[in-house]
Amino acid sequence: MRERMAFRGSPGIDMPLLAAVMAIITAGLVNLYSATSVYADDAQRVQLADIYVSQIYWVVVGTLLAILVASIDYRSFERLAIVAYLGGLVALGLVFVLARSIRGASRWIAFGSFNFQPSEFMKIVLILVIARYVHNDPKLEPRTLLDLAPAAGLTLVPVIFVMAQPDLGTSIIYMLTAGSMLAMTKIRTRSLLTLVALVGAAVPLAWNYLLLPYQKDRVTSFLNPEDDKTGSGWHALQSLTAIGNGQLFGEGFMQGTQNQFQFLPDQFSDFPFAVLCEDWGFAGATVLLGLYCFACIWAIHVASQAKDRFGAAIAVGVGANLFWHVILNVGMAVGLLPVVGVTLPLFSYGGSNVVTMMVGLGLLMNVSMRR
Amino acid sequence: MRIFVQRSDVGEFRRRYRWMVLAVITCFLGLAGRLAQLQLVEGDVHRAQARRNIVREGYLATTRGVIRDSLGRVLAANRPAYNVYVTPGRLDMEKAWPLLVKLTRLDDAERANLEPKILERKNLDARDRRRLQQILVKVDIDRDAVAYLETHERELDGIEVAPSPVRYYPFGQLGAHLVGTMREVSREELGGPGERGYRSGDRTGAIGIERRWESYLRGQRGMRKTVRGAGRRLAPAALEAKYLEEPRRVEPIPGRDVSLTVDIELVEAMERAMRGQLAGAAVVADVRTGRLLGALSKPSFDPNVVSGGQGSKAVSDAFQRLYADPLKPTLDKTISAAYPPGSTYKPFSALAGLADGLLDPHASVDCRGGYEYGKRYFRCTGVHRRVNLHEAIVQSCNTYFYDLGSRISIDRLASIGLDFGFGVTTGIGVNPEARGRMPTRGWYTRRYKEAFRGGFTVLSAIGQGATTVTVLQLALAYAALANGGTVYQPQVVRSIETSDGTVVQEFPPRVRRLVDVKPEHLGMVKTALHGVVDDRHGTAYAERIEGVDVAGKTGTAQVSHVTPRGVDPDRVWYFNRDHAWFAGYAPAESPEIAIVVLIEHGGGGGKNAVPVAMRVIRDWQKLKEARLSARGPKDQPARGTL
Repeated sequence: MRERMAFRGSPGIDMPLLAAVMAIITAGLVNLYSATSVYADDAQRVQLADIYVSQIYWVVVGTLLAILVASIDYRSFERLAIVAYLGGLVALGLVFVLARSIRGASRWIAFGSFNFQPSEFMKIVLILVIARYVHNDPKLEPRTLLDLAPAAGLTLVPVIFVMAQPDLGTSIIYMLTAGSMLAMTKIRTRSLLTLVALVGAAVPLAWNYLLLPYQKDRVTSFLNPEDDKTGSGWHALQSLTAIGNGQLFGEGFMQGTQNQFQFLPDQFSDFPFAVLCEDWGFAGATVLLGLYCFACIWAIHVASQAKDRFGAAIAVGVGANLFWHVILNVGMAVGLLPVVGVTLPLFSYGGSNVVTMMVGLGLLMNVSMRR
Repeated sequence: MRIFVQRSDVGEFRRRYRWMVLAVITCFLGLAGRLAQLQLVEGDVHRAQARRNIVREGYLATTRGVIRDSLGRVLAANRPAYNVYVTPGRLDMEKAWPLLVKLTRLDDAERANLEPKILERKNLDARDRRRLQQILVKVDIDRDAVAYLETHERELDGIEVAPSPVRYYPFGQLGAHLVGTMREVSREELGGPGERGYRSGDRTGAIGIERRWESYLRGQRGMRKTVRGAGRRLAPAALEAKYLEEPRRVEPIPGRDVSLTVDIELVEAMERAMRGQLAGAAVVADVRTGRLLGALSKPSFDPNVVSGGQGSKAVSDAFQRLYADPLKPTLDKTISAAYPPGSTYKPFSALAGLADGLLDPHASVDCRGGYEYGKRYFRCTGVHRRVNLHEAIVQSCNTYFYDLGSRISIDRLASIGLDFGFGVTTGIGVNPEARGRMPTRGWYTRRYKEAFRGGFTVLSAIGQGATTVTVLQLALAYAALANGGTVYQPQVVRSIETSDGTVVQEFPPRVRRLVDVKPEHLGMVKTALHGVVDDRHGTAYAERIEGVDVAGKTGTAQVSHVTPRGVDPDRVWYFNRDHAWFAGYAPAESPEIAIVVLIEHGGGGGKNAVPVAMRVIRDWQKLKEARLSARGPKDQPARGTL
């Protein structure tokens, strides 16, 4: 990409990125308020009506961390990456020891009253480690599978940890993010075909030996949503109804009936997009998708402008991380993908997730500011 | 810092960026396309589903129509039954429960049944919804208990009294088969179009008028749409205006009232007259219209219990008892069962013989106590010596009719029967009708696969053999004898009215057929029928009541072929004893009513059925006089034909 933007060479704050992120954050908080307002009159779950306040705290914390991360030259993270990676694996291991189980999955470590989710932070660490690998292994000839093996190993170790929690969504995100980063390199065509064949062979194996019954249910009910209107297919169907109910301009803020009458389960964690679609309609949803799309393309733009492979790889990693979260979450909400627990960045409620996303965007800003 | 200076290998990435941007844009366009499909193309479908999710269609109950007799007395109506429920999660087992037990007079068995259930739910986890599911304690508690529970509502948390409509039959057993009963709808009947469909727990007519006129009596329930969980965030009115499509409310339409032709006081008189008899049936019909004035089937049952007024357990208990009863109380013996008519059929045989010129009314047959036909000997009821037609009917001589049977064809006997309405359903439209049987040569051939024997005809001529009739058919046939040969379609329903009394539909009498019978032949038979009661030799003479003007025929229908002759009838096994019949009309000279009495296994007709019929007719006369004098001599009766 030859075109140079006006602020090229003026390593200040990346204003378009900042504006897009601010817009997404604001929309996310407003949407979270609508999503949780349904609990205001629900005596048993009234505390959930206030989680948007803690989400604001987490956004603030995340922003501060992002500023911190952005202000240190990203190149100094190269050396830290391995340490952070090992520390991350230890934390993932600790999850099994100090597990706090929520809905059958042990993903959290409790620090006093707040829960820390190591698998979220591992997303950033993985981006750094893969970037470091890409950076330190420059090649001119196409890569073979053997060349990619170290990177694959770095990815698969945390994937296995997270699968065991079990958290299918996060492990898929790890693989997709790392895969996207490696896709920047030149890979031998024969190796690529072999890889595709290997993945193809792995799917039935994973189905038989890796996936848990509830995860399989989600996939089967995705494939035949009409078969199972009360069980696994319920979430997906209610989400579709909510989205369709939004029509062109939506029911209005806090007026979506699927949300307000509590037909959307997990509406503030897994299905905030359905709430947005119902309240603001096709118009609101396309604006948000436009913002996400812009952020992703902007990350590629930042990568193309980066002055080294490490920065470029980080930018692509952060962009890919954002991209896959959005695609998987929205794809699931609109019924194009099975229900896997993947968050919608800066929309879903969750401290670790918000902070991770903000730190990632801080890294992107960092790369953008130092080209 | 040195190593980070522009490196040639950054170029390895360069070529990928375009593809990545393309991939990103493609994916987002894909999502946007899917959104357009869901929100713009299919938006209406999803919005409709979203509305269905939050809108509840509640039903507004209707009231079932009332059934009245010919003088407007209520035979079936509705009353609220108060049922007591407890909510285990809120019930105080120490104070409130013992009080409730005392108030509702729960017996130990009921307590032992209920208490574990309540305690089990009460001890569930505090968040378990089943703690708040109500348990039915007692149905239809008395008014005093209702009043007490309502005034002490505050102290008695967890106890609730809920009214539910129950069908009420003020006359109980009287005419239960005809008026009918209610039952809960079966699973197969559920559903159906809109407001007319049945819902689980609905009640529907089970038998009788309640069943046959269900569609009129039932009415149509109303509908009201509400928003589920309304009142959360928005005021219900605002929500309803926004989310509910018109029509939001459809008022229920009350069921139609049905007025019968039956006079419940006459039925009461029939019941009184039948007292002392175990089982039987009686019908009184208007000879000028074919309308049913009274019908009784014995033994009967209490429709209030059977229809669920005392709870479902009482219903199943009652049915268990009723079905086990060998006297078959659930069977409507006036309509749904056919019996051999015995001698009551002789007038019809006589008319056939007269019409075909086979009988000379003045010629006599010598009765020596029986009749030899082929190799068989057919017995008579006695030794009547020389009898002509008149005497044969008056004294019920079988020999005379055996002689006729030996000369007439069985198909001719059947055809006159069919003319008078035997062998086919009458079309009364209440309860399953037995057809009865007028056997023909063809029927015997099909049935027995052997050569037809003349003996069959001989037996048919006296209403035995394979001949069977229903009580109703016999009454209508005697009405036809009385009115000169008009066979009416029997009617029970006189009119249909709306709940405010406006007549919607009236049912004028309908003639089924006019029997082609010569007046002089009919006159001879009618004179003979009068003689049965009036003549010193008549079979009903001994049991006649002075001042009761009746013509008719007795019958003693043989049930069993094995009972030896000359055995004391009282010592025969009950179910092998003969059926006792009386069929007739009154007054004899200008007939108004036809009456048939059947005493199942009652023995001789003259001795057992006649007194019942006489008492009914006497009471009918009294009722008629009382009503005429009450109205004044000039008034025409406004309703009823009495």
